[in-house]
Amino acid sequence: MSRIGVFICHCGENISRTVDVERVAREVGLLPGVSFSTDYKYMCSDPGQNLLKNAIQEQKLTHIVVAACSPRMHEKTFRKAVEAAGLNPFLCEMANIREHCSWVHENKEEATVKAVEIVGMMVERIKKNRILPGITVPVTKRSLVIGGGIAGIQAALDIADCGHEVILVEREPSIGGHMAQLSETFPTLDCSQCIMTPKMVDVANHPKITLHTFSEVELVEGYIGNFQVTIKKKARSVDEDKCTGCGVCMTKCPQKKIPNKFDQNIGLRTAIYVPFPQAVPNTPVIDRANCTWFKTGKCGVCQKVCGPGAVDFEQEDRLIVEAVGAIVVATGFDLYTIDEKPKGSAIKGYGEFGHGKIPDVIDGMTFERLASASGPTGGKILRPSDGKEPKQIVFIQCIGSRAREKGISYCSKVCCMYTAKHTMLYHHKVHDGQAYVFFMDARTPGKSYDEFWRRSIEEEEAVYIRGMVSRLYQKGDKIVVMGSDIAVGVQVEIEADMVVLATAIQPQKGADTLAQKLGISYDKYHFYSEAHAKLRPVECATAGIYLAGACQGPKDIPETVSQASAAAAKVMTLFSKDQLEREPIVARVREAGCVGCFACKKVCAYGAIEEKEIRDRQGNLIKTVAYVNPGVCAGCGTCQATCPSKCVELDGYTDEQIVAMIEAL
Amino acid sequence: MTQSIDTSSYSAITEAIQAEAQRVLGDGTVTAVIGYAAARRKGSAQPIVISQADDAARLIFTPACVNNLAVYLTKAKKEIPRNGRIGIVVKGCDLKALVGLMGESQLKRENLYLIGIPCSGVLASTIQPDTELTADTLASKCRECDAHQPTGCDFVPPQLPVAPELEKKYQAEISRLEALTPAERWAYWKEQFAKCIKCYACRQVCPFCFCEQCLCDRNKPQMVETTPRPAGNTAWHIVRAMHLAGRCAGCAECERVCPMDIPLNLLNRKMAKELKELFDYEAGFEVNDKGPLTMFTEKDDQSFIK
Repeated sequence: MSRIGVFICHCGENISRTVDVERVAREVGLLPGVSFSTDYKYMCSDPGQNLLKNAIQEQKLTHIVVAACSPRMHEKTFRKAVEAAGLNPFLCEMANIREHCSWVHENKEEATVKAVEIVGMMVERIKKNRILPGITVPVTKRSLVIGGGIAGIQAALDIADCGHEVILVEREPSIGGHMAQLSETFPTLDCSQCIMTPKMVDVANHPKITLHTFSEVELVEGYIGNFQVTIKKKARSVDEDKCTGCGVCMTKCPQKKIPNKFDQNIGLRTAIYVPFPQAVPNTPVIDRANCTWFKTGKCGVCQKVCGPGAVDFEQEDRLIVEAVGAIVVATGFDLYTIDEKPKGSAIKGYGEFGHGKIPDVIDGMTFERLASASGPTGGKILRPSDGKEPKQIVFIQCIGSRAREKGISYCSKVCCMYTAKHTMLYHHKVHDGQAYVFFMDARTPGKSYDEFWRRSIEEEEAVYIRGMVSRLYQKGDKIVVMGSDIAVGVQVEIEADMVVLATAIQPQKGADTLAQKLGISYDKYHFYSEAHAKLRPVECATAGIYLAGACQGPKDIPETVSQASAAAAKVMTLFSKDQLEREPIVARVREAGCVGCFACKKVCAYGAIEEKEIRDRQGNLIKTVAYVNPGVCAGCGTCQATCPSKCVELDGYTDEQIVAMIEAL
Repeated sequence: MTQSIDTSSYSAITEAIQAEAQRVLGDGTVTAVIGYAAARRKGSAQPIVISQADDAARLIFTPACVNNLAVYLTKAKKEIPRNGRIGIVVKGCDLKALVGLMGESQLKRENLYLIGIPCSGVLASTIQPDTELTADTLASKCRECDAHQPTGCDFVPPQLPVAPELEKKYQAEISRLEALTPAERWAYWKEQFAKCIKCYACRQVCPFCFCEQCLCDRNKPQMVETTPRPAGNTAWHIVRAMHLAGRCAGCAECERVCPMDIPLNLLNRKMAKELKELFDYEAGFEVNDKGPLTMFTEKDDQSFIK
């Protein structure tokens, strides 16, 4: 006979505001099997937990239901408390009367009735809970980092410095990401390359880091502590081991007029190229779409001039498999483009700005390349159309960002600051020039950030106009900027030589596809979702996968670096033990009924289901049935839902328990 | 005048399968052959399992050979496949069931010796067995058959099937039902399911209902009501249709054996149509490791999530 204890939490006022918790405690106390029920202001607090522990001892309770918040919030807390009081932790369940009840209802009477029903269902379910023994699995102490921008680099270096091997995968030919493209960085105006490139070199030289550039993650299998990752190394056409990085091939390549993506397509490169001189690794890639050899079968100059014979036209994509225990996702961001968007896309583009067809309307990243000493103009601010120095420059903030009608409602966070920086860089380089900024409001929280923004106005002579721009059009060699100044309440028209748009930060293209490979969740913009917005900001809901940088949401460099180090710390915590304790909520096969169709095996995303032979005493095979490897099973329940004869059951969620819950209603 | 269907090749086919069965039983290739033999009523046929070469002469193929023999390999005579390699006489539609069963680890190709039939069609279940095969007496499934000539068998008689172009009754009926409002469609199926007497003949004859214990027979918890009342009937027929989605290739045995004339294969064909439209998948043509409903690909339609 079960002696169930029910503990109702007020959650401060979060629950008690809309649920009559005392009445819930009173009514569930009358349910068959419930021997004790009470309510308390903060069940998760120390006195709350002591209340629980004491009740278990005094009332000789056998099963515990805590009616409070989501189990994702505090299930572990209460299971630990129950264990401390001498019960098996899996005889404790949570009834969610906060997210599922008090937060979503206003009528107190109805919410209270619902709360009683939610608790009643959990009481019926827990009666059939089994004592579950703990499961431990080994941990592979190697880590995969996806993305070689500042986030990935920082995470990789931190993990590797702790003595664990790191596999760093980067899609582009070089690591460095967007930070390598920047000229100077706010709020100190130190040169981005000067602080970035040494870190890139550290990665390349680190004995614990294996770098795979020009590579992509193809497939991820396994689970926390034990992932198998298939990486596609795209054909570079240059042997990385033989190449010395002398660069003769690039100087001799006859194809010299290919837009360089690293320079936002305003600079040019050859068909065999490194994206920028400080690239790591300093091994060129042949861009097969633009290479004369691959287009016509003739040329081969690079191969002829290569001393070590590193150029290999025959090279093919290779797949390599790496075993890792943790994955840090640091895929970064991409910029909103104002071009026309395909039909059906939520992003609408900017028809009123000419959809990106006016040559001297550029985005912030292009301005970075113009201002950068290593950029295509050698650091001179020159217009892309005719190479003249712009004397009047207009910066427009919030392009795409905070514009629900354009498809994005969030703030991109870094644009206020980098636009202020752009006005300074412009003022430093074009002394007789004038910068105007159209802005909604300046968002400058951050150490020394507001001071930096004020400096752009007070010392660097930028003119800030509060208001938005309604139209841009070409008039002769000028761009007419039509906007409003809402502070004064007048229409403004500026004839600018160049316009710089602070376009929104978006996740990388293909972020959703990668998320599906990894089995992690993402929001409607395809930013990856953290496990908890406040308390678990660098972990994914999928165990063993961590997030760093702008792939999770817009971030500046200091924040990205902090998050990368935090993700690395989480990985190190995981690697600090040889064995990992896993939740024993796993599936079990009822072998007597299993017919061995292996539908469960086909749907299992974790490869947890094996084939098991059942033999009689003489060793004759009777049948082959499914077997769930409890070390691999993640308890997702897909097999249970798939089994046509209902012969797979998930502990704690058996069909009997689910039906009992429904019948309790 | 009713279009008659030429079944003159069936006697030559009968001779060919008799000779082949005698050979494979005689030389020990197989331990038994599952086929059809004449039954007591004039012109009728019944399934038979023979294990002696001398009995091969009992095998026949006529328009009355309606059964899908695949069921004798999985559950009707479960001991048969244990005794070594088995020969089985299969029409194209039956072969699709075997292909499905191989994909679901219930059969292994190497344990089977497939004697395929170039089949022009069989009689509908409501027609007397000695009737001539015409467009009117032909089983509905044969009107839209796309597997008159079985492929991938170990032996197929050289005769060629005839397959006149006929109106596709299932397709026409599906179009009619699709044009109805959801309420009208629900009324139609409610009326059909109300007739069900829960005899489970459809389950017993289906080659894909191979579970040792059907979830409908479980009582802890009770998944489907046992008595033939409308709610439980509907639950059963929905379970059946869902479990067959992406697997059923349309042998229509369920519909043939239903004593209450519920158009069961119509449901199956509708599910097959959905699978074709959503995943470009047709069951029964090749042994697949994973069917469309047990597989996730990045190309799958995910518009329903957003």
